Amino acid sequence: MRTILATALAVAVAGCGGPASTPGPARPPARLVSLAPSVTEIVYALGAGDRVVGVCGQCNYPPAVERVPRVGGYLSPSVEAVIAARPDLVAVVPSPGNREGVRAVERAGIRVLVVQDHTLADLWASIRTLADALALGDAGARLVEDLQHGLDAIRARVDGVPRRRVLLVVGHRPLVVAGGGTLQDELLAIAGGDNVAADIGQSWPQLSLEMVVERAPDVIIDTAMGTEAGSQSLFASLDTVPAVREGRVVTVPADTLYRAGPRVVEAAAALARAIHPETGPPPG
Amino acid sequence: MSATVEAERVTTGYGARDVVTDVTVTVAPGDVVGVIGPNGCGKTTLVRLLSGALAPRSGTVRLDGRPLASLARREVARRVAVVAQDAPLLLPFTVLETVLMGRAPHLPPLAFPRGEDLTIARAALARVDLHDLEARPLVALSGGERQRVLLARALAQEPEVLLLDEPTTHLDLRHQVGILDVVRELGRKRGVGALVVLHDLNLAALYCRHLLLLVGGRVAYAGPPAEVLTEERLAEAFGAHVHVGRHAITGEPIVLPLRRDGRVPG
Amino acid sequence: MRAPYLTARRLVVTLAVLALGLAASLAITLLIGPAHASLRIALAPGGGATPDATILFRTRLPRLLLAAVVGGSLSAAGAALQGLLGNPLACPHVLGVSAGAALAGVLALLAGADAVSGSVPAAAFVGALAAIGVVSFGARAGGRTAPHAVLLIGVVCNAIAAAGIMLVNAVVSYSQAQGVLFWIMGALSTQSYGLVGWTAVYALLGLAWLLRYSQDLNLLAAGEEGALQLGVEVERVRRAVFLAASLLVGAAVSVSGMIAFVGLIVPHLLRLILGPDHRLLLPASFLGGAAFLVWADTLARVALGPAELPVGVVTALLGGPFFIFLLRRELKRGLA
Repeated sequence: MRTILATALAVAVAGCGGPASTPGPARPPARLVSLAPSVTEIVYALGAGDRVVGVCGQCNYPPAVERVPRVGGYLSPSVEAVIAARPDLVAVVPSPGNREGVRAVERAGIRVLVVQDHTLADLWASIRTLADALALGDAGARLVEDLQHGLDAIRARVDGVPRRRVLLVVGHRPLVVAGGGTLQDELLAIAGGDNVAADIGQSWPQLSLEMVVERAPDVIIDTAMGTEAGSQSLFASLDTVPAVREGRVVTVPADTLYRAGPRVVEAAAALARAIHPETGPPPG
Repeated sequence: MSATVEAERVTTGYGARDVVTDVTVTVAPGDVVGVIGPNGCGKTTLVRLLSGALAPRSGTVRLDGRPLASLARREVARRVAVVAQDAPLLLPFTVLETVLMGRAPHLPPLAFPRGEDLTIARAALARVDLHDLEARPLVALSGGERQRVLLARALAQEPEVLLLDEPTTHLDLRHQVGILDVVRELGRKRGVGALVVLHDLNLAALYCRHLLLLVGGRVAYAGPPAEVLTEERLAEAFGAHVHVGRHAITGEPIVLPLRRDGRVPG
Repeated sequence: MRAPYLTARRLVVTLAVLALGLAASLAITLLIGPAHASLRIALAPGGGATPDATILFRTRLPRLLLAAVVGGSLSAAGAALQGLLGNPLACPHVLGVSAGAALAGVLALLAGADAVSGSVPAAAFVGALAAIGVVSFGARAGGRTAPHAVLLIGVVCNAIAAAGIMLVNAVVSYSQAQGVLFWIMGALSTQSYGLVGWTAVYALLGLAWLLRYSQDLNLLAAGEEGALQLGVEVERVRRAVFLAASLLVGAAVSVSGMIAFVGLIVPHLLRLILGPDHRLLLPASFLGGAAFLVWADTLARVALGPAELPVGVVTALLGGPFFIFLLRRELKRGLA
């Protein structure tokens, strides 16, 4: 009886596998390797953290993941370590360095699940796909709903306030900012900001400093992981820029902001605090 | 002004080998000293020792009685000029620029050539028959023309001692004689002493008052051409049979090669 | 065909023309950029507080001046090295100095220094000095500095540093990796006038030091022995020129990363036009390199619309094909 149920379940799981998955095993995966920090966070948020047997080096949240063995970096996973962990499923986000490694894992006969992380829509799809692949029923849909409610709450809070022009800085030298069509761009919009760099063709354009003066943002959000002093001194001489004149150059920690995972709500809240400090801290 | 360069019992080499061993030679004002010998016997090394480019491992080289090692390079360069076998062609300088470099030891470090420097340089070029090529880049010249440019540069240095290392290798007969005529004239008119490395034994006999026969880095014989250029000594040094005759006009020795069977070729 | 030899007059006239060209380049490129700014508004009474003035005088001008200083330093060093090594294709980055500066800069970034603070260029400069020490020590034997040994060690240094940087790149986060790439590709950015000023003073001192040996570099064309016999203290000149060139390159790389091609193309091009006499070529390379990088940076700023390119990409794309074209022309004329 149990065997028949398991087989039926396996067929169902195989039928709704992810976009780039190979045919599934006979029962839900019990050993998962995650090669991206965002995937790790999603899996733990779905309640399947106990199935994680290997993570990439940059995975640092939630705290429980500290005890899980590492299998290489996000940009350069170690194929041997992945195989040695004997996973049933490897979940990965495409990155510039990991394509060959992932192919090697596939050739070793291990099932690979690829999820994207460019937009919020990608995030919802990733959550659902992972939940299905791990046979977690509607945990995926519930998590998505929770997160969407969280984002709606933030939208509502900044709704009555006039929008502000924002520049999201990723790196200092060279000066790199978040462009349009990115998840961060979407979060900025939810947090009540208009991304001044949204019309530039690239996702992460490198800008000359004069562009900051021309675009004249009201708020500059600096996530470049430099020092506070460095951040201020980079823009200090540009006193015609409203953000500089009114002292609205804010540093925000980058951990949650650049991960397409369950902490997007916290990231959006941090952005909202930076852009519209007058709307007060979020509830909870 | 004239100067004397002398090497006293100098020995030197590269790495473990000694290439020149216990050589003594003096180049006095007005002298033309010839250095002959089989290939690889240390002739070029001897020139390097006398110019100061190479330091001896034992023995001393002196310029006017003072050890070369104690003199600044510029001071030596003002009085001793070297004509090497060939010029490296690293950068596209013109013929005139190359000859003007010979004036550098006499000018302050960043100075530009004055009128008199140009005159001297052009006169030197005229001496070697190259005055109409002054604007050509050195790389565009033939091997023989380049060799003459090197001599012009040495002449422009207005040296008191000239050291020439096989200056006739690429030259045709007219220019071979031309160069050695210049050397001898400098000796007569200005008391410039010269040491010339030659592979042509007859030219050596014709122009040199004193010959040094170097074999294996040592002086095998030294003396006037008539004494050094004998059949026995040449056979021993070069391992080749020769016939030494007398030049019908000058009375100097003439060296003619022989075939293995002892006959004169032809 | 150029004149058969260099006169003081030709030197002064040529340098004056190049200096005017540089001044004109700065004036024109000041008005070019992805952001719109009007000089008229900026210079009008009260114009100092306008965005136009901010763009022109607080972001563009310091950057263009820095480009000039960096371009000049790299080109002058390149010219001196090409003369010293007797190789018209030598490039200042083969010294290994750039690698030392870049590696030290990257490590400073990793240690948490802010890219904007002065501590990163300072650390990079220390790295440059260390690299100079390694190369000098490694290439010296028996009191002589062997040029080919310097080249080899420089290449090895570059390889090691590049490997080190790539290693670092593999373990840092994605956003830090951008900062690391800056060192390898080179980028010009707006820096304070103070930093630009110091780099300029430094570059001019280095240039003056090189100029002192310009005639010696000419005489080195006669070969090492030929130069000795013409009165050049070859070993002393070699050490001094290596040191001066390395310091120039180290300072440039410390503020702008490894910008390729400038130190190779500009001196080579100017040598083809002006002749190999270093008394003219060294200062001319400085002025020419300055103008070249000013224009290259301007192109980098406007090429992609609002976004900009790293200047190293522009110098490589501009420089490479043009260099090949020039070389072929000279080969056909039988002069190269």
